Amino acid sequence: MNPLVVLYGAGGAWLAAALAGLLAGSSRPGLRACCALSGLGGAAAAAGGGWSLWYGNTPVVAPGGAATITGGPLQLQMTSLAGVFVALLGVVAVAIALYAPRYHEPARGTALYLASYNVALLACLAVLAAGGMVTFLVAWETMSLACYLVILRHPRRDETARGAFWFLALSEIGFLLVVAAFVIVSAKTHATQLDVMAARGHLVPGGWRAAAFLLALAGFGFKAGLVPLHVWLPEAHPVAPADGSAFLSGVVVKLGVYGIALFAFRLDPVSGAWPGLVTMGTGALTAAIGILYALRERDIKRFLAYSTVENTGIIVTALGAAMVFHASRQTALYAFLLIAGLYHVANHGCYKTLLFLEAGVVEHTTGTRDMDRLGGLVHRLPRSAVIAFTGTLGIAALPPLNGFVSEWLIFQGLFQGFRTGSHLTAILIVLAAATLGLTGGLAVYAFVRGFGIPYLGMPRTRQAADAREEGQPITGPALLAVACAALAVGAPVVLTALSRTARTVTGTALGPLLLPGKLTVIPAHADFSAFSPTYLAVFLVAACAVPVLIFLAGRPRAASVSVPVWDGGIVRFRPRMQYSAMTFSAPTRVTFDALYRPTVSVLRASDDDPAGRSGPVHYDAQVTPVFERYLYRPVVRAVEWLADAVRPMQSGDVNLYLLYVFAVILLAYLLGAV
Amino acid sequence: MNPGPDETATATRLRAQIAAQFGRSLHIRTLDTGSCAVCEQEIRLLSAPHYDLHRLGFFFTPAPRHADLLLVTGPMVRAFTLAARKAYEAMPGPKVVVATGACALGGVYRPDPFVHGTVDAVLPVDVWIPGCPPSPLALLNGLGVAVGRLAEKTPGLTFIAGGDRS
Amino acid sequence: MPLWFIRGLRRGVVTTRYPARPDASATALPTPPAFRPGKLTRELADRMISVCPGPALSRADGNLIFDAGACTACGRCALAAPDAVTPTGEFELATTDRAALVKMIPILGEER
Repeated sequence: MNPLVVLYGAGGAWLAAALAGLLAGSSRPGLRACCALSGLGGAAAAAGGGWSLWYGNTPVVAPGGAATITGGPLQLQMTSLAGVFVALLGVVAVAIALYAPRYHEPARGTALYLASYNVALLACLAVLAAGGMVTFLVAWETMSLACYLVILRHPRRDETARGAFWFLALSEIGFLLVVAAFVIVSAKTHATQLDVMAARGHLVPGGWRAAAFLLALAGFGFKAGLVPLHVWLPEAHPVAPADGSAFLSGVVVKLGVYGIALFAFRLDPVSGAWPGLVTMGTGALTAAIGILYALRERDIKRFLAYSTVENTGIIVTALGAAMVFHASRQTALYAFLLIAGLYHVANHGCYKTLLFLEAGVVEHTTGTRDMDRLGGLVHRLPRSAVIAFTGTLGIAALPPLNGFVSEWLIFQGLFQGFRTGSHLTAILIVLAAATLGLTGGLAVYAFVRGFGIPYLGMPRTRQAADAREEGQPITGPALLAVACAALAVGAPVVLTALSRTARTVTGTALGPLLLPGKLTVIPAHADFSAFSPTYLAVFLVAACAVPVLIFLAGRPRAASVSVPVWDGGIVRFRPRMQYSAMTFSAPTRVTFDALYRPTVSVLRASDDDPAGRSGPVHYDAQVTPVFERYLYRPVVRAVEWLADAVRPMQSGDVNLYLLYVFAVILLAYLLGAV
Repeated sequence: MNPGPDETATATRLRAQIAAQFGRSLHIRTLDTGSCAVCEQEIRLLSAPHYDLHRLGFFFTPAPRHADLLLVTGPMVRAFTLAARKAYEAMPGPKVVVATGACALGGVYRPDPFVHGTVDAVLPVDVWIPGCPPSPLALLNGLGVAVGRLAEKTPGLTFIAGGDRS
Repeated sequence: MPLWFIRGLRRGVVTTRYPARPDASATALPTPPAFRPGKLTRELADRMISVCPGPALSRADGNLIFDAGACTACGRCALAAPDAVTPTGEFELATTDRAALVKMIPILGEER
C-alpha cells in the first residue's frame, strides 16, 4: 500500500467525473454529480500527495505491462517532489468542485467543459505521477489540449478564441522544446524511465547537458510563465471561466515549475553555477516585470494573471538559487531554498485560486471585470469580501499569513549568498534578492489597489451597487482561505513534511537546521536569523486585542453623539471623487515609463477651446505590448515569409507532383544501393 | 456656554471649568465664510514670531475633529451654510465659537438672497471680536476671553470721551 | 553662517509679552471713536451718520447709537466732526454679549 494506490482512486474518480460530465453535464443534477466525483477525486489526490511527502519515492509501476499505443509502456511513479504538487492539485480540485455547481449554468457547452476539465485534472495527475518519459509527454500534451477546451468555454464571445489560441500556440512551442530536452537526455542515457535516466545522468556529456537544461527551462518556462514566454497568461485568463482560470493559475502553471524542478534537481543536474544563475536571473526578472505590468491592468483577471507571472518568478528564483548553492556545495542552503520554493508553490496555489474564484463571483454579481466600474462590494458581498481579503493578505505577503512565511524563507536563503565562495555569485544573488524586494513592495501596492478599488469605497456604477450575494458560492473559496491560514500557522508541520521531500531530492536531512525547537524556524544556519510563524500569528492577534480592550475599559460612560464623517464640508460624496484604478498606480507609470512606453491619444471636438468646453474629450492611454510587438510578431512574420517562400512547391500542377514522386523514388533507390 | 447676567454662579463655575480644560491648550479651527481675507491675514500673523500664539498654548488645526474653538470670519454667505454647520457639528464638545471681524458681527452686509449678514444666523456664537480687521493683539485678547483667561472690558466701556473709561 | 542668523542673535527676542504685559505697538492701532457729548449737536450727529459707510451709527430717542461691533475704524466720522470725536485707543473689545457692543451717547440739547 503506497500513495500511488490512493492516486489510482483519485484518477478513477476524475475519469468517472469526466464521463458523468460528458453524459449529463447539461442538467443541474448531472452538474452536481460530476462536481461531487471531482471533489472526491480531489480529496483522494490531496491525501495521496500529502502521504507521499512522508513516504518518499514509490517504486515504478507499469500497469498494463506491454507496450501501449503510445509506443512505450505506461510507467507510473509517485515521487516526493511531485507529492507537493499533487497535494495542491487535490486541494484546488476540491475547492473548485465546491464552487462550480453554483457558478456554472447548465447549458450548451457545460457538458464538454466539465468533461475537458476533469480530463485536464487526470492529465495533470498523470504528469505528476509519470515514471517514464513517454507517459510524461503524452500526459503533458493531453493536459494542454484539455486546458485549451477549458479556456474555450464560451467560443462565441469576443476575445475567447484569441486567448485560447495564444495558450495553445505557446503550449505547443513549449512542448516541442520539452520533447527535445527529454530526447537528448534519453538518447544519451539509453533509457526512458525517469529513475534510470536520473541514475545514469553522468553519461550525458557536458555540452548536451547544458543544451537539455536550457531547452527544458524554455519549454517548461512557456507553461510556467517566465518572461518573455508569459504572454498567453494575460490573454487566456480573462476569457476562461473563473474556475478554469483558477485551475490554470493554481495548478497548470505549477506544472511548468515542476518540469523545471524535475530537470534541475533530478534528471539533469548540471555542474557549475551558471545554470542556476541563469534560472535565478530569469526568475527575478520575471517577478519584477510581472508585477509592473500587473499595476497597469484594470481587468481583475488580467491583473491576477500578471500576478501569477510575478509569483512564478519568485518560485523560479528560489529554485535557481538552490541550484547555485548546490553547485557551491552549500548543501544545507540548497535543501532550504528548495523547501522555500515548494512552500511558495503550495501557498500561491491556494491564494491565487481563491482570488480567481472570488473574481468569478464579482463578475457574476456585477457583470463586469473592470475595477473602475466596481466599488463598495464589501457591503454588498460581505462574506466574499472577507474571503478575498484573506487571499489578498496572503498574496501581498503580509504577516501572519502564509505568503509572508514562504517569502521570508526565500529571502533568508538569498541573503546568505555570501556563503558561496565566489564574489560574482554572491553579488548576483544579492541583485536577485534586491529585485525580489522591489517586487514584494510593488506587490503590496498592487494588491492594496486590487482589493481596495473593487471592494472598498463607494460603488462607481449602478451594476456594482446592485450586486447581491445570494446564491453565490462561498464554501469553495472559504476552504481555500482556511487552507491559507493553516499553511501559515501550521508552518512547522509543513516544513517538516517538505524537509522529508528535500531529503529525497537532495539527500540532505535538514531537520534541526530548520526547526531547532518545535515552533521556531531557522534558515539552515543557526547563526543567521530565527522566526516563529506560530508565535507571530498569536502575537499579532493578541496585539490587535489591546486597542479593543483599551477602548472597552476606557470609553466615556456619557451618551455620545453620532455625526457624519467630516468630508471637508462638501454637499455630498460622489463616487467619481474616488481614486480610479489607473490613477492609483499612476506613480508607477511615471517611474517605469521606459518599460511601459505608454501611448496617449487625446481627441477633442475642436481645437479652438483647449479646455474641452466645446464638446467631449476622449482620452486613451495604452501600454505598449512590448513582447508581442518586438518578439512574437517578428517571429510570426518570419514564419509567414518562410511559408510563402515554400508555397510554390504546391503549385497544383500534376506534372510537377509526378516529378516529385519520380525524384523521391530515384533517391530511395540510390540510397538503398549505397 | 453662553451665560446671561442672571446665571452668574453657573457662569463662574463654567468659566472655571473651561479655563481648566482649555486654558493651557486650545486647538483652533479657522472658518472663512466669505470674507475679504484680510482677517485671515491677521490670523496668520498670530503664528509669526512677533505675536506667537504657541507660547500661550494655542494651536491651529485644520481638522474640526481635533478642534476646540471655531474662529469664524466673513459675513456667512448662504452658499456656505451647509459647510459651516458641518464643520461645527464635526467638532466634538465642549466647543467654543468665536466670530471676528466687522463682517461676521453684522456690521457690513445686510441680509439678502446671497448673504446672511452675520454669523449668528447659522452658528451659536460665544465670543465676538470686533475690528476691521481685528489686529493680532485684539485676536489674542478675544481668544483669552474665550478660554476665560482674560476678563472682558467692553461692558465697562462707554465710548464717551472724558467719561468713566474711554 | 547666514547673515540673518547673526542679525537675529543681535536683535534678541522680538516676541511680544502681551497679554501679560502691554504691547508697545498697540498705541499705533486704529481704534473706534469716543464721542464728546458736550460738542455733539444734532446736525453733527446727522452728518456723522450719513458719512459712516456701515451701520455703526444711528440716532434714536435723542441718543446717538454707536455699534462698536460694526465699526471699521475708518475715521470718516472724525473727519466730519473733529470736535466731537476722538480715538479711544481701545482695541481689547472682545465680548460674550453682542448687545454690550452697542453704546448710547447722549446728543446735546435733545430730550430723551
